Amino acid sequence: MKIAKPFAAAAAIGLALAVSACSTTSAPSGNSDGGAPVELVVTSFGGDWEKAYIEAVVKPFEEEYNAKITLVTLYSADALAQLTAQASAPQLDVVHFSGGQEAIAAAQGLIDPVDPADLTTFDDLSPIATEGLERGEGPVMQVTPIGIVYRSDVIEKAPNSWEDVFDPKYAQHVALTDLSNSYGLLSLLAVNETLGGDTDDLEPGLDALGDLAQSGDAIVIKTSADMQQAFSARDIWIAPYSQDYAETLRKAGLDVEFAVPDEGAPASFITANVVAGRTNSDLATKLVDFSLRPEAQATFAEAMLYSPVNTTTELSSDIADTVIHGDALSKLVRYDSTVLNERRAGWTDEWNLRIAQ
Amino acid sequence: MRRLKLEPWLLILPVVVLLLVGFVLPVASVLLSGFTTPGGGWTIENFTRFFESAFHTGAAMRSLRMALVQTAVVLLISLPLAYAMSRASAKVQAFMMIAIVLPVMTSVVVRSFGWVILIGPAGPLADIPGFLELSKSRQGLLGTELGVNIAMVQVLVPFAVLSILGVLNGVDRRLEEASRTMGASFGRTAWSVVFPLAIPGAIAGGTLAFAMSISSFITPNLIGGAQIPVLAAIIYTDATTNLNWPFAAAQSLLMLIVVLVTIGLTAKLSARR
Repeated sequence: MKIAKPFAAAAAIGLALAVSACSTTSAPSGNSDGGAPVELVVTSFGGDWEKAYIEAVVKPFEEEYNAKITLVTLYSADALAQLTAQASAPQLDVVHFSGGQEAIAAAQGLIDPVDPADLTTFDDLSPIATEGLERGEGPVMQVTPIGIVYRSDVIEKAPNSWEDVFDPKYAQHVALTDLSNSYGLLSLLAVNETLGGDTDDLEPGLDALGDLAQSGDAIVIKTSADMQQAFSARDIWIAPYSQDYAETLRKAGLDVEFAVPDEGAPASFITANVVAGRTNSDLATKLVDFSLRPEAQATFAEAMLYSPVNTTTELSSDIADTVIHGDALSKLVRYDSTVLNERRAGWTDEWNLRIAQ
Repeated sequence: MRRLKLEPWLLILPVVVLLLVGFVLPVASVLLSGFTTPGGGWTIENFTRFFESAFHTGAAMRSLRMALVQTAVVLLISLPLAYAMSRASAKVQAFMMIAIVLPVMTSVVVRSFGWVILIGPAGPLADIPGFLELSKSRQGLLGTELGVNIAMVQVLVPFAVLSILGVLNGVDRRLEEASRTMGASFGRTAWSVVFPLAIPGAIAGGTLAFAMSISSFITPNLIGGAQIPVLAAIIYTDATTNLNWPFAAAQSLLMLIVVLVTIGLTAKLSARR
C-alpha cells in the first residue's frame, strides 16, 4: 500500500488535468479559461419550478459554460426586498420575478438593462417577451395564465366565467388568494373587470370577493403551498389561480383541472433579470439568453405548461392544446406593473379590512 | 483601587462592542427610519397613517388581546406544571424536562404545521360533531383566533415553565413542611406558600411569553391566515410585499414601545415584592 500511495496521487493529478483539459476544449466562445467554474447565484421559486429549471437550464448551462449555478429559493417579493437591502453589495446574479417587481427593480437601478444584441434568441422571441427591454427590465421567460383551478371529481361542468366562484353550490369550498401574492391581485383584477370595474375602480371586485371571504363562503390563502393544502386537505373545490400551479397539483395526484374563463384572462409574466453591480454580469446575461432557447422553453412547457415565449419552440402533441401559445399568447392581459405597484398598498389595505373576520 | 474598578469594564468591553455593532446600531437605524419618507426626508406621517388605518389599529388591538389571553393561559398551565416538576424525583424531573424542551428544538414552522393538520378539516378532530362549524367556513379551528391561541400556547409554555421552575427549585422545602405541620391542606399550602414565592418566576415567564407572542407571525400566519391579521405579520408584509420600510419600521417601533412598557410595569411589580 505504501508504494501505491504516490501512484494514486499521480493518477489523481493526471485525471484532474485531463478533466480540466476536456472542459477547456468543450467550453465555447472563450467564456472560460478552463480554471475553476465561475459561480452564478440565481433565484428560484422552489418545488417543481426548480426541478424544471435545473433540467432545462442549470445542468446544460453549467456544462456548456463551465459555470457553477447556486440556486436560492426566493419568492418575488422577498427577492426584491433582498435586492433593495443589498443595493450596495448585491449577492445575487440573476433574479426571477413573477409579480411585476422588475418594473420597480429597473426604476431603482437594481437590475441592468439587457441589450437585444446580447440575446442570440432575440429574433425568435415573441414581442411580449421583449417589450420590457426598453424599460430596462429583463425579458419575459415564462408566461402562465391566471384562470380557474377546480376539482374535476366534484365539479363536472368546467367553469367558464369568473363569476362561477360566486356560485352558491360552491359556498364554503372556494379559496381566494391574498393580495400579498401577485396571483391574488391578478385574480381580483379579473373578477373586478367581469363585474364592470377597472384599475381605476376596484370597488366591484373588492365588494364581491370581500363579502365572499367575510361571510366564510371562501377561505383566503397566501402562498402556492397553501393552495396545494387547500385542495388536498381543506375541502376546497374551486379557486382562481395560475395554470402552472394547477399542473403542479395535478402532477401531485390531485384531481384538478384548469379553465380559462370566457371573459379573458390575465397572466403572470415571469421575467429573468440580470442584477446590477455584479462582476459576472456577462455570464449572467448568457444564462438569461440560455433560458429563452427553444429546448429550455419546451422543457418548461412540458413540466408546468408554461407558454413558450420563443416562437421556434416545438410543443409535443399532447400539450399543444393545453398550453396557450402562438397568436393566442398576445390575448393574455399584462397589466402595467408601474400602475399596479403604485396602487397596490392602498388596495391591500382595503382588501385586508374587508376580509378580516 | 482605581485599577480594580476598571477591570470589570475592560472584561465586558468585547461584549458591549459586539452588542453595539451587532444589535443596537442596526435596530436603532431601522427604528429611526420610521420617521423618514421613502424619499429620505423626516416625517411623522408613518405614525399618523397607522392610527388612521382601521385595518392596522384593528390588527394591533387583536395582537394585544391575543397576547394577553395567551400569556394568561400559559401561566395557568405553567405554574402547576412547574410545581409538579420541582417536587418530582430527579429522574422524573429530568424526563419531564426533556419532554418540555424537545418541542423547542423543533422548528416553529414544523410545530405549527402539526397544528394545521390536527385542527383542520382533514384532521382527526373533524369527526367530532360541530367541530367543523367552529369556523365560518367549515374549517374547524383553522383560520380562527382560538386556533391560533391554542397553537401559540403550546409554543410558549416551555419558556414560562423553565423560568418558573428555576425559581421553585430554589424554594426551601421546609416552608411547605412547616405549613403542612401547622395543619394547612395541600391546596392551601400550594396557594398561600408556594405560588407567592413563585411569582418572580411567573412574572419573568409571563413577560417572556407576552413579548414572544406579540411579535410572532409564523404561527398566526399558518393557522390564522390572512383573515386573522396580527401586527407582526402586517409589518412583515409591509416590509416585503409593499416595500414600505419606513412604515414597517414605524409599526415596529410602536410594538417595541408596547413590549417595553409591559416589561417596565412587570419589573416594577416584581421589585415591589
